[in-house]
Amino acid sequence: MASPPQPTQPPPMTNAFALTPHKVSVCLLLQTYALPAQTTPPFPFSSVSQHNRLGLYLLALTKSYDDISEPKLEELLNQLKEISGSLGHWLIDHLTGRLSSLSAPDDLFSFFTEMRGILGGLDSVVMEDNQVILDPNSNLGLFLRRCILTFNLLSFEGLCHLVTNIGSYCKEAMSSCMPYETRLLDESSNDLETLSEYENMDLENFVFGKVNEEIEARKQASERVPFHLHGPKALSGLVEDIEVVADPSSKHGDKCGESNAYIHPPGNELRDVDPYGEIFLRTNWQVQGYLMEHADAIEKHDSSFSFNSSELVLRQIKKLAPELHRVHFLRYLNSLYHDDYFAALDNLHRYFDYSAGAEGFDSVPSSSGSNGSGRYEIGLIYLGMMHLHFGHPKQALQVLTEAVRFSQQQSNESCLAYTLAAICNVLSEFGCSSSAGVLGTSFSPITSMDTSLSVGQQLFVLLRESLKRAESLKLKRLVASNHLALAKFDLLHVQRSLLSFGPKASMKLRTFPINVCKELRLCSNLISEFGYESSTMTTDGAFSTTWLNNLPKSMDSPLLPQENGHRNNCDAHRFFTQLSTVPKSVLQLLGSSYIMRSTAWEMYGSAPLARINSLVYTTCFADASSSSDAASVHAKLIQHLAVFRGYKEAFVALKVAEEKFLTVSKSVILLVKLQLLHERALHRGNLKLAQQVCDELGVLASSVSGVDKDLKTEASLRHARTLLAANQFSQVYIF
Amino acid sequence: MNSKETCRSELRIALRQLSDRCLYSASKWAGEQLVGIEQDPAKFTPTNTRFQRGSSSIRRRFRTNDITSSPAIGMSYVSTPVLEEDEVIDGDFYLLAKSYFDCREYKRAAHVLRDQNAKKSVFLRCYALYLAGEKRKEEEMIELEGPLGKSDAVNRELVSLERELSTLRKNGTIDPFGLYLYGVVLKNRGNQNLARTVLVESVNSYPWNWTAWSELQSICTTIEMLSSLNLSNHWMKDFFLASAYQELRMHNESLAKYEYLQGTFSFSNYIQAQIAKAQYCLREFDQVEVIFEELLRNDPYRVEDMDMYSNVLYAKECFSALSYLAHRVFMTDKYRPESCCIIGNYYSLKGQHEKSVMYFRRALKLDKKYLSAWTLMGHEYVEMKNTPAAVDAYRRAVDINPCDYRAWYGLGQAYEMMGMPFYALHYFKKSVFLQPSDSRLWIAMAQCYETDQLHLLEDAIKCYRRAANCNDKEAIALHQLAKLHCELGRPEEAAFYYKKDLERMENEEREGPNMVEALLFLAQHCRTHKRLEEAEVYCTRLLDYTGPEKEMAKNMLRGMRSESSFPSMDAEHFPP
Repeated sequence: MASPPQPTQPPPMTNAFALTPHKVSVCLLLQTYALPAQTTPPFPFSSVSQHNRLGLYLLALTKSYDDISEPKLEELLNQLKEISGSLGHWLIDHLTGRLSSLSAPDDLFSFFTEMRGILGGLDSVVMEDNQVILDPNSNLGLFLRRCILTFNLLSFEGLCHLVTNIGSYCKEAMSSCMPYETRLLDESSNDLETLSEYENMDLENFVFGKVNEEIEARKQASERVPFHLHGPKALSGLVEDIEVVADPSSKHGDKCGESNAYIHPPGNELRDVDPYGEIFLRTNWQVQGYLMEHADAIEKHDSSFSFNSSELVLRQIKKLAPELHRVHFLRYLNSLYHDDYFAALDNLHRYFDYSAGAEGFDSVPSSSGSNGSGRYEIGLIYLGMMHLHFGHPKQALQVLTEAVRFSQQQSNESCLAYTLAAICNVLSEFGCSSSAGVLGTSFSPITSMDTSLSVGQQLFVLLRESLKRAESLKLKRLVASNHLALAKFDLLHVQRSLLSFGPKASMKLRTFPINVCKELRLCSNLISEFGYESSTMTTDGAFSTTWLNNLPKSMDSPLLPQENGHRNNCDAHRFFTQLSTVPKSVLQLLGSSYIMRSTAWEMYGSAPLARINSLVYTTCFADASSSSDAASVHAKLIQHLAVFRGYKEAFVALKVAEEKFLTVSKSVILLVKLQLLHERALHRGNLKLAQQVCDELGVLASSVSGVDKDLKTEASLRHARTLLAANQFSQVYIF
Repeated sequence: MNSKETCRSELRIALRQLSDRCLYSASKWAGEQLVGIEQDPAKFTPTNTRFQRGSSSIRRRFRTNDITSSPAIGMSYVSTPVLEEDEVIDGDFYLLAKSYFDCREYKRAAHVLRDQNAKKSVFLRCYALYLAGEKRKEEEMIELEGPLGKSDAVNRELVSLERELSTLRKNGTIDPFGLYLYGVVLKNRGNQNLARTVLVESVNSYPWNWTAWSELQSICTTIEMLSSLNLSNHWMKDFFLASAYQELRMHNESLAKYEYLQGTFSFSNYIQAQIAKAQYCLREFDQVEVIFEELLRNDPYRVEDMDMYSNVLYAKECFSALSYLAHRVFMTDKYRPESCCIIGNYYSLKGQHEKSVMYFRRALKLDKKYLSAWTLMGHEYVEMKNTPAAVDAYRRAVDINPCDYRAWYGLGQAYEMMGMPFYALHYFKKSVFLQPSDSRLWIAMAQCYETDQLHLLEDAIKCYRRAANCNDKEAIALHQLAKLHCELGRPEEAAFYYKKDLERMENEEREGPNMVEALLFLAQHCRTHKRLEEAEVYCTRLLDYTGPEKEMAKNMLRGMRSESSFPSMDAEHFPP
């Protein structure tokens, strides 16, 4: 039976372009930008550069996404002030004046007819001198055309909504500019309005509303003008900086710093409560892009990323767009990184139930899976990874074997390759005996593996298999990460030479640095191919967003010197996104290859090379890295410092690191701290302290969540060293 | 129990007061209960009884004793003074406003009452505004529907209403109806705690407003919340508790309450339907059918709750009765979600799943939060082998009400169908957690553990054991338990369960392959354990069946006879 099209799926989400007050404002600004030059005496622009700056700003506005909701009028006005300097007041007055004059549906009609006038003809008509008419095929022109088209398609209901929305959009900006008392007054007048007025019923009320708005506009103008006329530039800058601190909802948060732009301030709640505070959803891919950024941010900042705040944002998105199922995935990520097992499990299942795994996985070219049966195998992989994250290797393996079976059933080869990689991951993290049993019984379909093989051998076979599959499917990222895993394997596992018969063969057991090196190089080689094939769509938008976000910073850098440290990173990041479009995941992979290099050099005894690799990591990949990676690199560097520069500097660095990774992967930093303390105590002969630190280490090794064997060995080793130092040989012997 | 006469007089007054305030569904409910009270033979007139049980009803019984002689109010109940009207004669404005309201011109009604300060007028104005906001909200929801789903249209009157009503409450110039409205507004604004308090205040001072009770019930989602309510002891509280218990899946408690209430309101259709609902949840389908038949006889144009009746008819595969019901509700009101659901059920029973889905979709169009339609639609998609769509439908049901164990079960089934037993386990766990007394759920979970892919037999055994403990009607659990134990090499346990299964089959007089299997195993088991007499009994029973087992039984019997006839030889050959 031919299954009918799934009616429960949301309609195609491509042309979600809703006309909002913000877009109307942008159109208004576009009009000023494109106004023919020979008109009226107060020609707004004093120089070409000023004109260009506005153009750039508009370009960024039309492209940017940094939030699911569009900026409020107030924010827009602030940004305008930054951008256009002396012209700012004129622009602001013009904008607010025009906006508040749009109070009846017919005003909007004439507005959009007017807008059509600033578009040039479609064919390349000879442009007159001095006349900037928008090229209809330019970015800005396209935006305007889209707006006009959407307006023409609008039903009368939509028109009414737009009118009321514009009204509240302006009113909000006014009320937030006004001092508190007037705001109260204003609200009460609203009240009266709602009680007495029956909107759109009679003409009188319209007029009344119009007058009201004019009054407000005038009030607002009178408030602004003296302030800006008299205040010198520096002063206004200063005031704005104060505003930055005071106003929680402004998006001046530093993207790279701890106060992330995505950590949403309570401002959102306020918006929620505010009855008139319409939240204007942006276009679909902007939301999607935002969600992607958000996911990156969650991953990068680990648990320092406030759970509740992002949960709040996600809930809000959920409310606005109930059919956007990716939100559930983000909630899953959020709870995963905050170690909430049950919430993570629930959200994961919910996401895959709704989307059948088909929404938002554009990375895998759909070679097969589009037969309407969904992509539940991806859900299985994620479930497996989740169990791995929470330390349930047995369940993880069970799920992943199910994933293997299911993707074979669906003949989804690429998914199979990913599953194999995930299994390798589980095996390498928990090379425990319990896993062998599970694999042995039901894993025969893929690799006719002998159950007698050790876990290590199984892992090796699987890694090879996975690499082979990934290569044949051209899944570059996977190939790279497989190479990385192999490098790790080579680094950790002692290999016995197969031809070690005969009397002369050396029976030395050792790892092969050459293999490690080879794998690492293969890993980074592949990544360099990524330059051209990533999706440029989101990076473009991200760049615009960053640019808009950094607008105010040009002003406040001298006042906020502590931000400087981060700003370099930020610039580097901007530079990066601008020049190359390597996706973040690839950067991350590349970064971990550097960590691996550094570890390899550490083990093979070249401290400088290890240090260089760590440094490369911190300078180049800090932005893309996850916090746990970053923390471990810091740990390496601190240890290096301790060896070569002495304990004092190491402890200074440690302090910095501790501040940077507050709760994040605390254990890594904590471990280094304990190690350093122990070494120093031994060095200074403070045996009591050394013993104390040893005990602490022991506690760390066997925490509630389980016993870390390596750590335990280290703890006892250190204990032994302490005893040695105390000349208690008999007790050392016990170890 | 309160005297019927008090209940009646209270309800009569309440009915008038409620409809005077345009609280129509509450007054409808009160009216139903009023007529549901057994008639007083003194006032018995044919017109009065027409709305009561048909004369054929078995339960119809008139009391001979004079009711007026026992007017004593039950001592456990507080008597709430009947609300005194603040204006005896309604003002002209009020009359005009009420007629506007009746014509559903809410804003106009509110406008007329703008300067009136009497409590009643204030209430009606606020209520009209609230309804106007709701109406506008519904419209906006359709207008603003975007590609990513509904935008969150809000009732724009809520904020100003909240402000006004809270000041009134602070001033103490609010009546119980105003409190009710305030509670509704608070609930919509998401302030559930205060909403609960306010609604409790409302029902304590005016208990006859059923809508207030049901609002209160909808925000009591746990038993702790319910027991923390400080409710005074009015007979209306029993109605509330019964309905709340039902929502909290305490069906037996709820049933007891309803049966107690039936003592007074013996003719109440409402109570009958609620009893049917509880019985339905307890899977007593025959009783439900009887109740609904009677209900339909007395109230032939009823559409409410009829979807449940159709589910029962579906489960019992009564084609013609279901078609008759579908036809009836369709003629009564085709645009009720219940009607669409019944028709969907009918098509599903006929195996026309596409049409069935169409009607479920229509039901959902009429009421997006119609839980059972989502679940039933999921079942249809499963039948149509469109698993992703089924999963989606079930998931929506679960997100509307996370306690819907059927939808969780459906999700588990869908995933199991796709060959993802481990993934499915998550859903089965949820469903058994919500309904631990349903053996079918345990069996489904056990089967999931039993699959070749998972092969977690110990866990399967645990589940089957639970299933066997909770009245497994299809008798799968015992058989499977025996089989699994046998497979795991535990003959003693296997024998125990086979024997139990056998007993059960004997009691229920069932035959079949399971019987043969059990007999054969028991025979072999007894033989190996040298309980030859017992083994012989089983073997002879096996002889009644045809097939290879009969021959095996014969051989066994022969073998046993030879063994028993030469016991000494046996001992010589196989020394212990």
